[in-house]
Amino acid sequence: MSALFPLSPLRLAGALLCCLSLAACGDSSESHTAAGDPERGRELLWQFGCGSCHRIEGVVGAVGEVGPPLDGIAHRVYIAGVLANTPENLVRWIRVPQEVDPLTAMPNLGVTEEQARDIVAFLHRRG
Amino acid sequence: MSLRGAIKLLLALGILGALAGAAMVYFGVYNVAATQQHTAPVYWLLNASLKRAAAVRAKDIEPPPLDDPQRIANGLVLYREHCMNCHGAPGVPPNAFALGMTPLPANLAHTAKTWPAREMYWVVRYGIKMTGMPAWEFRLPDEQIWDVIAFLVAMPKMTPLDYQARAKAIGEGPLKPAQTQQREDAITAKPDPFEGNAERGAIAMQQYACVTCHEIPDVVGAIAPVGPPLKGMATRGFIGGVLPNTRANMVRWLRDPQAVDPRTAMPNLGVTERDAHDLAAFLETLK
Repeated sequence: MSALFPLSPLRLAGALLCCLSLAACGDSSESHTAAGDPERGRELLWQFGCGSCHRIEGVVGAVGEVGPPLDGIAHRVYIAGVLANTPENLVRWIRVPQEVDPLTAMPNLGVTEEQARDIVAFLHRRG
Repeated sequence: MSLRGAIKLLLALGILGALAGAAMVYFGVYNVAATQQHTAPVYWLLNASLKRAAAVRAKDIEPPPLDDPQRIANGLVLYREHCMNCHGAPGVPPNAFALGMTPLPANLAHTAKTWPAREMYWVVRYGIKMTGMPAWEFRLPDEQIWDVIAFLVAMPKMTPLDYQARAKAIGEGPLKPAQTQQREDAITAKPDPFEGNAERGAIAMQQYACVTCHEIPDVVGAIAPVGPPLKGMATRGFIGGVLPNTRANMVRWLRDPQAVDPRTAMPNLGVTERDAHDLAAFLETLK
């Protein structure tokens, strides 16, 4: 992380919080933290209005053309052209896109870690 | 029909087929120019043959452990020396000559995501006929071929900045191929301002290797989703998620994407201004 971003007190605090929240759920099994609920993910994609900017197959009304379509995102090599496409990185991108790429038009929508995991579960199920 | 009749008919059809084939060769019907992509059925056949040939022959190869950091570091040095000129690297374009090849050298971050290590090893070791992919069996010791494979397996998880940091840490050797400088528009007289020619843009999509990283409907060979698909580019709001989608911005992005967003994996491919307008005109047709 420090290689990617210059350290500022705010970022350091954010990183610490990030570690703490991860540590907090460290007791639960890994599969629980890694795999979200795809059905909930579909609902969340709708609730957060993702479809107003992205085309998403399987989400009614998700026909936005502001950013790239999300169908087939699981197969893509990079997220937003800047981040290696792993489920963990996709969770991070959904939560704090502008921390990953300060220039991106994608806003921080206040998605929680758990919600982001559900969304990723849905996007990956769609293949 | 009697058996004899059937045999005669088959024989006649066979002779006719052979004559038609010979005529196609004699009259030069199939265009071998590298500026023209294969037809879709030929591309499919060649690609499927390649994949099956590698899969069948590599099935008993046992890879050594590939997650050793030292192996990955050795692999990076070898990759930069022997592979980067044709295949590029995260955020790094291939050398100019490689963009003119047909088939285009693949973006290996995508290959590494979709191929088993043993099959990549097989391809590196034995090469691929009629693609420009050389066999390394007589050039690199086996251990070094596996070093390269270890690097390839790690590559899809590297951001362009990760790659740069690793390459710099290892030192020695160029970070990117030498000949990526912008070729100037000297070849053609400049019509100014450029309007953009979508038909020429379609050829340029191949010639700048755009098709190795973006899926594009109805474009043969554009099947590797390294970046986002280009379908709908005509109406998409943002370019690279960072620039409002206008002609001027598209030209700027195509010519030097990393000047717009230093973190992007999209490399500077030395696109001239005229070619950028032609590419943009083509993208404007993708509804």
